[in-house]
Amino acid sequence: MAMSQQELVDTLSGLALFADLSRPQVEAVAHLMTEESYPTGQRILRQGFSGTGFYVIVDGEVAVKIDGTEISRLGKGDFFGEMSILLGEPPGADITTTRQLRVLHLGGSELEGFLRDYPPVMLRMLKAVALRLRNANRWRS
Amino acid sequence: MRYLAAVPLSDDQKAAALARLPLFAGISADSMGRLTAVAGEQEFASGQFIVRQGQVGAGLYLIVDGSVNVVRGADHVVATLKPGDFFGELSVVDQQPRNANVQAAEPTRVLAIASWDLLSLIEHDPALALNMIKGLAARVRAAGDQHRH
Repeated sequence: MAMSQQELVDTLSGLALFADLSRPQVEAVAHLMTEESYPTGQRILRQGFSGTGFYVIVDGEVAVKIDGTEISRLGKGDFFGEMSILLGEPPGADITTTRQLRVLHLGGSELEGFLRDYPPVMLRMLKAVALRLRNANRWRS
Repeated sequence: MRYLAAVPLSDDQKAAALARLPLFAGISADSMGRLTAVAGEQEFASGQFIVRQGQVGAGLYLIVDGSVNVVRGADHVVATLKPGDFFGELSVVDQQPRNANVQAAEPTRVLAIASWDLLSLIEHDPALALNMIKGLAARVRAAGDQHRH
């Protein structure tokens, strides 16, 4: 069952990505993005294939797999899909739900405008991508 | 030992060098003006360290003349960077210690932008923040590809 708008806004306010936004801004974000649910075992993004979107996990968990090998899991407050949108490339990993998942979804073509409209979200995303690069470098060396 | 000409870069030359970086493409004229004002010229002799592994990053460096080696551990050269290349942006964003040494491979001139100046510009110019995310994301992808192949 979908959350009420009030519950959704409460939940989003608690996520790191939106932590620097005012309540009215979080309400606007909740309107802008589409709430979606997926059952366990559903593939949401497919490595190497077109079809993209930006997803923020509101509840649940996904596995991130590259060439069939699981490299990490993402949970509440994590997000995915932004890399391929911003790079203009197909998804670099498979994203598959490991349990019931609730996400907010934004179409790929809307992401850049969204980030420009909400600079605090962009800064949070910048730090998250930097952390990913740190981890990728560590993993390699 | 060869030294670079002692003539400092003019503001126009600094602006032109900065404007060539994809990182600074499409940023506002105001941001470009501030960037030029805060970018400081520094020279390094061959073999001199520009940044050391383990230090917290002080800024972003753009190579104007010369070349540098990115060195992990004692002597493992992981990359050589040339004029137009830059380094240090990851430490600016996350304020974590540098993950490599960077050493001048020959007499080298750089433009250095201090972390706090760059962060302040990023916070005020969404185009710059977006470029920065794209640049880091491309490197995450590249690291993943190297891991796989």
